[in-house]
Amino acid sequence: MTDYAQFRQEVREFLAKELTPDLVLAGELTTSVFSDFEAALKWHKILHRKGWVAPDWPEEFGGPGWDINQRYIFQEECKLANAPSIVMMAIQMLGPMLMHYGTEEQKAFYLPRILSGEDIWCQGYSEPGAGSDLASLKTTAERHGEEYVVNGTKIWTSMAHHSNKIFCLVRTNKEVKPQAGISFLLIDLDSPGITVDPIISLDGHVEQCQVFFDNVKVPVANLVGAENDGWSVAKFLLEFERGGHNFTIDIKKQLAKLRQQAKTVKARDGRPKLHDPVFRHRLAEAEIEAMALEQTELRIKGAINAGGNPGALSSLVKCVGTELGQRFNELSVDAVGQAVTPYFEDALNPRYEGKSPIPSYAITTMAEYINNRAATIYGGTAEIQRTIIAKQILKLG
Amino acid sequence: MTEEQQMLRDAAERYLRDNYDFNTRRALVNAGHYMSQEHWQTMAEMGWMAMPFSEELGGLGFGMQECAIVAEQFGRHLVIEPVMDSVVVAGSLLTYEGATTPTAIVEQMATGEAVVIVANAEPNAAPSFVNTHSRLQAVEGGYRLVGEKVFAAGGGSATHFIVTARLGDQFAYVLVDGNAQGLVVNHYPTYDGRSGANLILDVLIPEDHLIASGETAILAFARARARVILMASAETLGAMEAALEATVEYTKQRVQFGQPLASFQALQHRMADMLIQVEMCRSLVEAACRAHDEGSEDEAKLILATKVKTSTAGRAITQEAIQLHGGIATTDEYIVGHYFKRVAALDSWIVSRDEALDKFIMVVDAA
Repeated sequence: MTDYAQFRQEVREFLAKELTPDLVLAGELTTSVFSDFEAALKWHKILHRKGWVAPDWPEEFGGPGWDINQRYIFQEECKLANAPSIVMMAIQMLGPMLMHYGTEEQKAFYLPRILSGEDIWCQGYSEPGAGSDLASLKTTAERHGEEYVVNGTKIWTSMAHHSNKIFCLVRTNKEVKPQAGISFLLIDLDSPGITVDPIISLDGHVEQCQVFFDNVKVPVANLVGAENDGWSVAKFLLEFERGGHNFTIDIKKQLAKLRQQAKTVKARDGRPKLHDPVFRHRLAEAEIEAMALEQTELRIKGAINAGGNPGALSSLVKCVGTELGQRFNELSVDAVGQAVTPYFEDALNPRYEGKSPIPSYAITTMAEYINNRAATIYGGTAEIQRTIIAKQILKLG
Repeated sequence: MTEEQQMLRDAAERYLRDNYDFNTRRALVNAGHYMSQEHWQTMAEMGWMAMPFSEELGGLGFGMQECAIVAEQFGRHLVIEPVMDSVVVAGSLLTYEGATTPTAIVEQMATGEAVVIVANAEPNAAPSFVNTHSRLQAVEGGYRLVGEKVFAAGGGSATHFIVTARLGDQFAYVLVDGNAQGLVVNHYPTYDGRSGANLILDVLIPEDHLIASGETAILAFARARARVILMASAETLGAMEAALEATVEYTKQRVQFGQPLASFQALQHRMADMLIQVEMCRSLVEAACRAHDEGSEDEAKLILATKVKTSTAGRAITQEAIQLHGGIATTDEYIVGHYFKRVAALDSWIVSRDEALDKFIMVVDAA
């Protein structure tokens, strides 16, 4: 029987020892899904040394062998301690896919390199013409002997400019219905014919990229799963992700910071913004939504612990979690007033040591507000989530 | 609209449509410029800076209805030059009845030679008399002003600042030359492509640069705040409507699952909702400007209602515009996200929505 209190203590001690001030600062200055890359990599390596870089992986592949409660505790403590986010595409997506669909050679070669951080992977799924309708993707891979020749382009490839590898869904058959002609390929980003173009985001920084493939040769050995079975490989993740991301932890952090902001900034009457009756009511309503979300996530955890299936609740939680997070962004924006206006590039750089026109409590507020608009777009738009709920749960249409 | 107002609207729309394209604006901003001198010059020649000043002072004697027409076009085209910040808001403080203004400054504003920016907010507080700690102390020849100001919108382009301070136990404001000794201006670019400034002041204010104090200063600022609301709301209206138009166009072209996004009824309804809100806001902006210009009884109520309504709708519509576009609208390269950023900045400009709603309740209950 696991002593969770003791486990939490163990995690806290690890974090207190290993989370150096520069890493904490990088965590605090995170305004999107990704933290400063240098800090993220440094933290990745520290976690790897401890054996904790992939909490969700089975022990046989290098996971620490934690149950869902331990994974939740670890996630929570890392957030509370402001640990930076590691680059997660391979840990959360590619790794589990390889475990299930990879050959023994692929598992033996790639999984350790994912764990160590030696390989940084980005995800090549979306295309300019294939967003929500991913199956309509057009990047082709033509088989020529022992190679595929890849042509096309992928967009919204997060962190491609910092990655050395990309996992791609490519079209290997144009004759069949779209989902049935897709394959899953592993590609080295330094292959001849690949161009990575950074995309400047609305917050002024680069996270997303567009990747172009011009007659890129990829060994057949880099195919994961059977040819034309790529769609199953991609869909497998939906099963694996169940009970994964916990929104409540992030929302509680947002709430704590927001309260701090609203206590620090004075309204026109000289009293803290927190005492502004209109603001206070808006905040209370959002807090109530957060409580409903928290209890829902506990139900999910309970269902998984009991060996069951949370089913419908996971889809709902994605909608609520992302949209509530956005609502808290708005409240923060309103709490800090005109402090959201200055754009100071270095303010979000954890290695910058100079002054900034933005007060410390508001440094990330506008960037978070801007970047979090994407939360209801990536990984399945809010609209797609609702279609899933309507079709699969309510059996409509 | 009167014929004159229609002409004003058409001239503004035409100039900006033909000369203020998004890509040029983007290049200008990304190169680190706070504004275009060329545009500033032309805007002055078009008479936009003379609009709110009386004819005696060299202006056109227009009211907020006319200024709002131009402000709306600024919103549509994401204009970065701080025209309204200077001539409408700062201009209002310099021309309030009872205010004493040094000669020439208003004329200079009307020709664009001077850019006057209000610096009233102090660190960690919404701007108000209660939150003003900058002090004016009478000295030989005038006053010594010591204090700190933050987030002066448009401050990177300022030739002068209007700075609020305490004079004894009274609220007051002074005109500070941008080159004044003892003035430190820390300017910065803003998220919405413009500029701002934080000020540190230990300056000598000549006697004739004390513009107003006491009751006059309070009332002048009340009027300036009303005009901030009207200009922000009008500009937000322009941005909202442009965002909606871009969304309609995009969803007609963007094909997923074999059909344009615009063919999905759920999305059509959402765009219809956006249109409803745009029109509701337009109605309030026009009515509030008219009430202000005519000094009607319901002016206060209308202005506060406009702030609350436009703030809520501006935020919702620009967010919706991004959502309906998907990934492309989260990039710097595409225009829609810039409407979102500009509207957020306008919403934060001096007056908060929450405070306006609370004040609205007080006004309604007192009636």
